Amino acid sequence: MFRRSLREHPGPAVAAIAGLLAAGWLIHYASYGDQHTLSILAGTWVLGWLVLPLMLGAGRGRVRPSHLRLEPIGSLPAAAGLLLASAIGIGPLVSLVALAALPVHAARYGARGVLVAGFGALLLWLIGLIGSAFALESIGHAGGPAGAILTGVFTGTVMGVFGSVWAVAPWITFLLAGTPGHIVRWLPWFPGSWPLSAVAGPSGRGFGMIIGLVAIVLVLGAAYLTLVRRTLASGSSRRPGRSLSPRAGVWGPGPVWAVAGRELRAWGRHPLRLQYLAFAVVYGTLLAGLPLLAGADLLVPWAGVLTALWAAGMSAGLVGLDGTALWMPFGTPGGERAEVRGRALAWLLLVTPIAVLLTVAGMLVAPQVDPLPALAVLPAVLGAGGTVPVWVSLLRVRPVPDVRHPTSADNPTDMISVLVAVGGGVLAAAAPVACLIWGPSALAPVAGVVSGALLWFAGRWLADDRLAGRGAEVLAAAGQRTRPPETAIPLTWDAEWYRRNKATAWALILLMVGWVPVVPQGLMVLVFDISGGWIVASHLTGGARTGVAVAMVALGGALLLTGLVLWGRRPYPLSPGSSPEARTRS
Amino acid sequence: MGTLDGSTLPTLCRMATNALEIRGLRKTFGTFRAVDGVDLTVRPGTFHGIVGPNGAGKSTTIGMAVGLIVPDAGEIRILGHDAVRDRATARSLTGVLPDGLDLPERLTGAELLRYSAGLRGLSRTAAAERAGELIEVLGITKAAATPLADCSTGNRKKVGLAQALLHAPRLLVLDEPFEAVDPVSAASIRRVLRRFVDSGGTCVLSTHSMLLVEQMCDDVTVIHQGTVVAAGTVAAVAGGVPLEDRFVELVGAETGGADGLSWLVR
Repeated sequence: MFRRSLREHPGPAVAAIAGLLAAGWLIHYASYGDQHTLSILAGTWVLGWLVLPLMLGAGRGRVRPSHLRLEPIGSLPAAAGLLLASAIGIGPLVSLVALAALPVHAARYGARGVLVAGFGALLLWLIGLIGSAFALESIGHAGGPAGAILTGVFTGTVMGVFGSVWAVAPWITFLLAGTPGHIVRWLPWFPGSWPLSAVAGPSGRGFGMIIGLVAIVLVLGAAYLTLVRRTLASGSSRRPGRSLSPRAGVWGPGPVWAVAGRELRAWGRHPLRLQYLAFAVVYGTLLAGLPLLAGADLLVPWAGVLTALWAAGMSAGLVGLDGTALWMPFGTPGGERAEVRGRALAWLLLVTPIAVLLTVAGMLVAPQVDPLPALAVLPAVLGAGGTVPVWVSLLRVRPVPDVRHPTSADNPTDMISVLVAVGGGVLAAAAPVACLIWGPSALAPVAGVVSGALLWFAGRWLADDRLAGRGAEVLAAAGQRTRPPETAIPLTWDAEWYRRNKATAWALILLMVGWVPVVPQGLMVLVFDISGGWIVASHLTGGARTGVAVAMVALGGALLLTGLVLWGRRPYPLSPGSSPEARTRS
Repeated sequence: MGTLDGSTLPTLCRMATNALEIRGLRKTFGTFRAVDGVDLTVRPGTFHGIVGPNGAGKSTTIGMAVGLIVPDAGEIRILGHDAVRDRATARSLTGVLPDGLDLPERLTGAELLRYSAGLRGLSRTAAAERAGELIEVLGITKAAATPLADCSTGNRKKVGLAQALLHAPRLLVLDEPFEAVDPVSAASIRRVLRRFVDSGGTCVLSTHSMLLVEQMCDDVTVIHQGTVVAAGTVAAVAGGVPLEDRFVELVGAETGGADGLSWLVR
């Protein structure tokens, strides 16, 4: 299994190097650092072991209890064997090395301290091992709403902290120097601190803490055994499907509301959608709120805008998440149009209240900050967020392997899709921001509404066009559990290929060239105020300089957008026997 | 797509009377010719079976007939309406149960029916009444309250059939409708479909079960390697022998199982 894990994917080797570096740093810190901070770090490590596999796809390819269902084996040996198998690998090995930091720290208390802390570290390692196996089997595969929301909150928090690292870093430095007293008071409640507390505290209390760790290991082991037993008996670790109210609930009139009703129910029940929404809310809120730690309150009223932006980004792969369920609207008159409008409407109904609530909360938290910019940009972002992700997810369909029971590792969204969906919101925000910069600023909210409406209609038109012209192709792509064939692009000049694939060629050119005005000619000037001979805006000053840079961003955005449209319309790869009509447009 | 001229007018008039008329249908996936010039005529008010071995092109033909797959060439008319140019009318007349496609998995069976009714523009009252009756008749009370992701294959088929019937179509196109359905439910479904056809509706079903075709269908089309190898009334195609024997003969296959496996049969 160890060889297999190394052979199948380069990821584990990279993770092993990163993990060993982190473990090495932890051991180094243990030799001089604060006991409580080390306990927090060790506990966080084990917590990461429990949660990260859920997000990073460790569930796929893993030997699972259901694989042993037909084998003549009892539940106890099966559970023991599965745990033993999960202990073989890079992750558990790196974790064992990292937790060795605890006996290293305890060396200052003598040999007994090393033994007790070492035993405690081993128990923590077992908690991570069994807890991870339990979490993967119960949450990762069952895809329950609580686990999904938890995963979204965790990823949003991690990303939010990384995104505001400049504001968080001083606090991390402060924590590494020594844990504040009010946190120390709470630490005894967290098992991560027990191995070192058992060494440093009174011996009676220390014994109790080690017994506590043993008890957690036993409870987790018993829970995992129950799961394995249930799986061997019924074939699935999932509880039988929960029944919902037999009443179909309230549905709005007409096809658009039918799709919107379907979408809203999916948002409330689909584990990955819940995860994405939780991520967007937490990430957006932290990006706006964490700078408060550094005394910067300027972003606080933007919590709603940032949440809406990320909600749009995380919605850029929803068609792939739904698999081939698109066949239903495709079989009804006007179904394609209803599909686009219903999806957009549902997103708007879902995200708008959250975004407005967060904006208002931000205004209350930081009343001294002018809320006008955030209020002006919000409708623009909401307008774009409704339809642009729908278009993107129809353009770049990435189906999940199992539509009925996806795991948290099944992410149908790729970075380009996210960037385009978020880019739609940024593009829409340009008009109100321009009003705020050059005035009249009072018109900024109107500009935001108009800009949002324009992007709403533009995204809707693009999505309509996609489904009208290539609906069957979208459906086929949604059914492809492997990637659809791509147009082969020659690496040298091929006149014949160019003649047959003009749309593809121009799409590639625009997608490559479009970044030049966006990044160096536009954003680098606006954000970093760079200058240079070929940077057009750097030859100007004041408002003209900003105006040219903004125009460059808009120009680049238009080029990239056109490139994406052309890419969506590129002809099929040539296949013998297929008609020219089918090759160019289905 | 082929074009019509004056010489095809008589054909058009004839086609207008048929529930489903397919001419010269072709579809190629990569280098694989899945459907190669299929002609198919389905008379109104009949059961029409489409049979063929695995990979023969049945599902692709059905997918193209109902607009889920775009043909490379050919002509499709549903109750006289061009299925490509007059897509909306063709869709409004057709109820579809595809095989192997996903459903909105987070909806319960009842919610799927309300969703389908909404897509079709049915009023709330009509939707609720029809959905309730279909749930009762097809015996899917439990599936009606369970998310489709957690329903069995058989229940998913029955819910799918219910949504195909919900808007009272004139042409039903069903791909493997009895797959994984228990015998009692299958009998109920057969009765429902028989009543539908007796009232003037038309039912096209793709299946591997020759017994089902012999029991239910008036006409049958045998597809093999993307082409029609036999078509007509079931009796005419069978030619006086069991349909299954005739089918094996038509597709040129040899049934194995008579020799070898001595270790199994003592």
